[in-house]
Amino acid sequence: MSARARHRTLTAAGVVLLLALMEAIGRVGLFGSSWPPLTEVVSYVAEPVTGDLLGRALAATAGAAGTGFALGSAVAVVVAALGVLLPVVQPGLDRLAAVVNAIPLIALGPLLITTVGREGTPTVIAALAAGFAMFIAATSGLAAASTPHHDVFSALGASRRTRLLRLQLPAAVPLLLDGLTLAAPAAVLGAVIGEWFGAPRGLGILLVSSMQNFQIELLWAAALTSALVSLAAYLVLTGLRSLATGRFL
Amino acid sequence: MIKAEHIAGLPEAPLDTSGSPGPAGPPGQPAAIVLRAVQKEFALRRGRTVQALDGVDLTVRAGEFVALLGPSGCGKSTVLRMVAGLDEPTSGEVLVEDRPPAALVRDHRLGVAFQDHALLPWATTFANIALPFRVAGRAVDRERVGALIDLVGLNGFADARPRQLSGGMRQRVAIARALVLDPEVLLLDEPFGALDAVTRRRMNFELARIWAERRITTLLVTHDVDEAVLLADRVVVLTGRPGRVRHIEEVALPRPRGRDITRDPGFHETVDRLTELLDESAE
Repeated sequence: MSARARHRTLTAAGVVLLLALMEAIGRVGLFGSSWPPLTEVVSYVAEPVTGDLLGRALAATAGAAGTGFALGSAVAVVVAALGVLLPVVQPGLDRLAAVVNAIPLIALGPLLITTVGREGTPTVIAALAAGFAMFIAATSGLAAASTPHHDVFSALGASRRTRLLRLQLPAAVPLLLDGLTLAAPAAVLGAVIGEWFGAPRGLGILLVSSMQNFQIELLWAAALTSALVSLAAYLVLTGLRSLATGRFL
Repeated sequence: MIKAEHIAGLPEAPLDTSGSPGPAGPPGQPAAIVLRAVQKEFALRRGRTVQALDGVDLTVRAGEFVALLGPSGCGKSTVLRMVAGLDEPTSGEVLVEDRPPAALVRDHRLGVAFQDHALLPWATTFANIALPFRVAGRAVDRERVGALIDLVGLNGFADARPRQLSGGMRQRVAIARALVLDPEVLLLDEPFGALDAVTRRRMNFELARIWAERRITTLLVTHDVDEAVLLADRVVVLTGRPGRVRHIEEVALPRPRGRDITRDPGFHETVDRLTELLDESAE
């Protein structure tokens, strides 16, 4: 317990140190006017007008990221499971996932704008980013069950479907949860990038427009909000994982 | 030298003595498991192979308990894996009830327990024992599962997960799981190998009791001579790698075999003789 308390103290100290450093650099003006003190950014956010603006942008980005996260993760797990049920297609699926991931998300922009439109692009890019992380986790998760377990299922005469449902999927739970904790920040990043292709609103839009208009405080506010969303998603899923691994490990 | 003894100990010879009295298996019964001239080679890297088994002949009659005894690495587990359909012989033939092992497996009529209990860590004792029903696509017979929990002495642990159980309890769950569908053939690969000596002996007597209730054709792989003699109707001693049948011992000790059997001089005499054979086999 004391080790845990020490860990928490150290984490808190690290966060405080980092924030203090940000503030100090801004105050001293080490990197010029493009690095404002943290307190200025926070007080800027506290203004009702900016708060509203950020709130709307956040809602749009979080919506796209959340939908993309759910969609991408679900499709990834289904595709990985398909690879188990039809071993013939397994190598093809792996290669397809690698190829899709090798294409820079930004290069998909024009293609997506013409197919799913500007509004849909953030969701789809979030889904692709989350989906790849999830596919890797699901593929290794489904291969995680031990040889003796597989032997027992073989000797009991288990079908592929039964083996998948009763052995491979439950055995994959810890790695699937790991995958989700990686997929969530990836989805937020994907949504922000997706918004650069002309979404009507969102944190990505705020980032681009504030950068072009030299609205330094807004730029920082938008960047910090994105980071906080990402961090929140990660923390929620880490909590979920620690709840579940107790049972599945 | 080994070759000569190998011939002397051919499995058909004891089969011919089926008229011999004593409780050593039901002599008139048909063969349930047959291995004929079974060879097994495993591929190593660069095209090299290692021979695990060389011309193994073995017959287990229906309702018989046969223990396969041998030094480690002699391929005795490979024999069991081939009977379970988990491995294929390189040459020769493995038949279970006159059919390839896969046929028995497909009908869900095989029970197995390994040294690694291989229980599902996320499932309770009840769910682990009920697993074969689910794999076979049958409705879980709750009474049957309950009766097996009773049989292996795990009353009150139905809702415990494997990690909350001791090593001996886990093996009992594994054995209950192997028995739950009332299999035709039971295969046990060092099921008590990871247990301490005292627990192991206690589990031996429990298995003898459980087995006596319904004499399932059983093949037990072990390197513990006492365990083999305690449980089996016949003990088959294999040589070191490549494994061959070196000797077959009919165990004529009366059943049921309880703890008092260890005071039987015949028990010790058999154990000593087999231990000596095993010692020579290992060389």
